[in-house]
Amino acid sequence: MAIKILSVDDSRTIRLIVGRAFKSYDVTVIEAGNGEEGLAVAAREKPELIILDVTMPVMDGVTMLTRLKADPELKGIPVIMLTAESGRENVLQIARLGVRDYLVKPFKEEQIIEKASRCVTLEKRAVTAA
Amino acid sequence: MNQTVHIPNICEFMNRHLVDVFDTMLSIKAGVAPDKAMPMFDERITGCVAFAGEHVNGTIYLHLAAPFATQVAAAMLGLSASDLGDTEVNDVVGEVTNMLTGGLKSWLCDCGSECAVSTPAIIRGSAFTIEPVPDVERAWLLFDCNQSRVAVEIHVRIG
Repeated sequence: MAIKILSVDDSRTIRLIVGRAFKSYDVTVIEAGNGEEGLAVAAREKPELIILDVTMPVMDGVTMLTRLKADPELKGIPVIMLTAESGRENVLQIARLGVRDYLVKPFKEEQIIEKASRCVTLEKRAVTAA
Repeated sequence: MNQTVHIPNICEFMNRHLVDVFDTMLSIKAGVAPDKAMPMFDERITGCVAFAGEHVNGTIYLHLAAPFATQVAAAMLGLSASDLGDTEVNDVVGEVTNMLTGGLKSWLCDCGSECAVSTPAIIRGSAFTIEPVPDVERAWLLFDCNQSRVAVEIHVRIG
């Protein structure tokens, strides 16, 4: 069964890039446009991994992560933060919140796969004959 | 690391960072323009992201000619230019501007000037100028990529 990965980003561009990165893997990428939607989707879908942006309108990634970690049913889901900000303080703040890993923009698709494969087992999608 | 933040070292950082962002995200080679000729845009798409902190604040504007912005969006999304509408192009230009400003924010934080960044906004038009408010310094950086000229306008108030 395909594993579920939740991409939470206000940028449709980034959600598309994340979806494209996992295209050849047995993964279903589900999406949310901000932290509030992300929490609702996470509660409903129970994804195996969340790839979470930091700066978003409505609810930012840090707030979503804090609420996720306070929820007994969701706190075990590994989270990779995706951020345009690599500063030392920013990274330390994120690390303190209990993320599994983080990825700094700009990034290559291979880097998402590499980080994700440290959190979940990614299997190549079976090739079907045309 | 604590270092004094000035317009010249902000520009020096941004010159390197734009080349890196374009190369990594778009596989487009950008180079610092050899001359200071301002680009003449028939139609322009401008991404803007603000940054604000106790010691430094300002805005980064990324100006792209509309046809080149479509090329950039196609490169980033891996789609054909003909499949893209204004929404997709706006989103990509906003995201690239966000990456440029996010990198600057990180550099500023590492220099000891903490700040926060806004979410991106887009301006589309053919004849507009952006005037800095008093006490704000302005710098222009020009780049050549794919036979198009790209301009980064930096407005910053330090101290």
